[in-house]
Amino acid sequence: MDSGERQQWSGGKWEVQLRKGCLELAILAVLWGGRLYGLEILKRLEDGSNLIISEGTVYPLLSRLKALGLVNSEWLESEGGHPRKYYVLTKSGKQRALELASIWTRFSSSMSKLLGPLSGGNK
Amino acid sequence: MILSNEAQKSVEEYLSTLRARLRGVKEQDAQDFVEELRSHIQDKISTAGEMTPSAVERVLTALGNPEELASEFKTNTLLTKTEGIKSPARVLSILLHWASFSVTGLFTLAGAIAGYFVGGVLFVCALLKPFHPHTAGLWAFRDETGDLNLSFRLGAASPPAAAHELLGWWIVPIGLLAALVLVLATSQLALWSARKFKRSNVLA
Repeated sequence: MDSGERQQWSGGKWEVQLRKGCLELAILAVLWGGRLYGLEILKRLEDGSNLIISEGTVYPLLSRLKALGLVNSEWLESEGGHPRKYYVLTKSGKQRALELASIWTRFSSSMSKLLGPLSGGNK
Repeated sequence: MILSNEAQKSVEEYLSTLRARLRGVKEQDAQDFVEELRSHIQDKISTAGEMTPSAVERVLTALGNPEELASEFKTNTLLTKTEGIKSPARVLSILLHWASFSVTGLFTLAGAIAGYFVGGVLFVCALLKPFHPHTAGLWAFRDETGDLNLSFRLGAASPPAAAHELLGWWIVPIGLLAALVLVLATSQLALWSARKFKRSNVLA
């Protein structure tokens, strides 16, 4: 009972780290289609995946991507009357997205192969 | 967007807490980050349709704790700054920034200053040897209590009477090399601990 609980907890922690690790690629992928502002990025991430733990986390990450030169940002006026900060992939951001995507594809297909035996086993 | 006074107040409170916790961040970056979150909050409130204090409270809760957001912002920009080789001045400015919000940062800053200082003394000592061949260098002497002292002297004053020089002209190549190694090692160690701090704070 106790050890089961602990296992579940550490599984949860692992999942959080896994999600955080994937967030950068997910953001680059969302921006692949063109310019978006923070809340739009957030909505697409929420619709397409369950990567988001807390809404705020996406903003410091966007600043980091900008500091790394992977995205550019600009403030544009909205119809709603207040400005929004839009992000767009830079050339090196596009390169990075392709690079990470190919790492992801290779990694996930080899991982699926490894996990093959587990799929029939447990139930 | 018209908010009740109470709702407006909680938004301003949230943003000013965030702003206060961004102390040490470059003014323009901090301002930009706060404005971006203000824009997020305005969008969320207007799509929610209702502007009651409790609706505003829900928006702020979903955004997360402002202290955590600020520290995530700081550690994220700290990490990007530690990538690549940096001059000692750059390393010290990163550490100064880190020390502004962390005790570990403060200790690392103190260690780095000590490392750069000793490296600088070695360097200057090696450079001055050709100009003060009889006084600059590494000297050993016994003080009044009989303890052995080692001292790097830059040649401005004569060494104590009983002192003898240890390295002679070797101070030039050894001093320059040791200074270089010490300065590089200090930078690497400092940036390594900043990165380690970063990782444990972002991922833990």
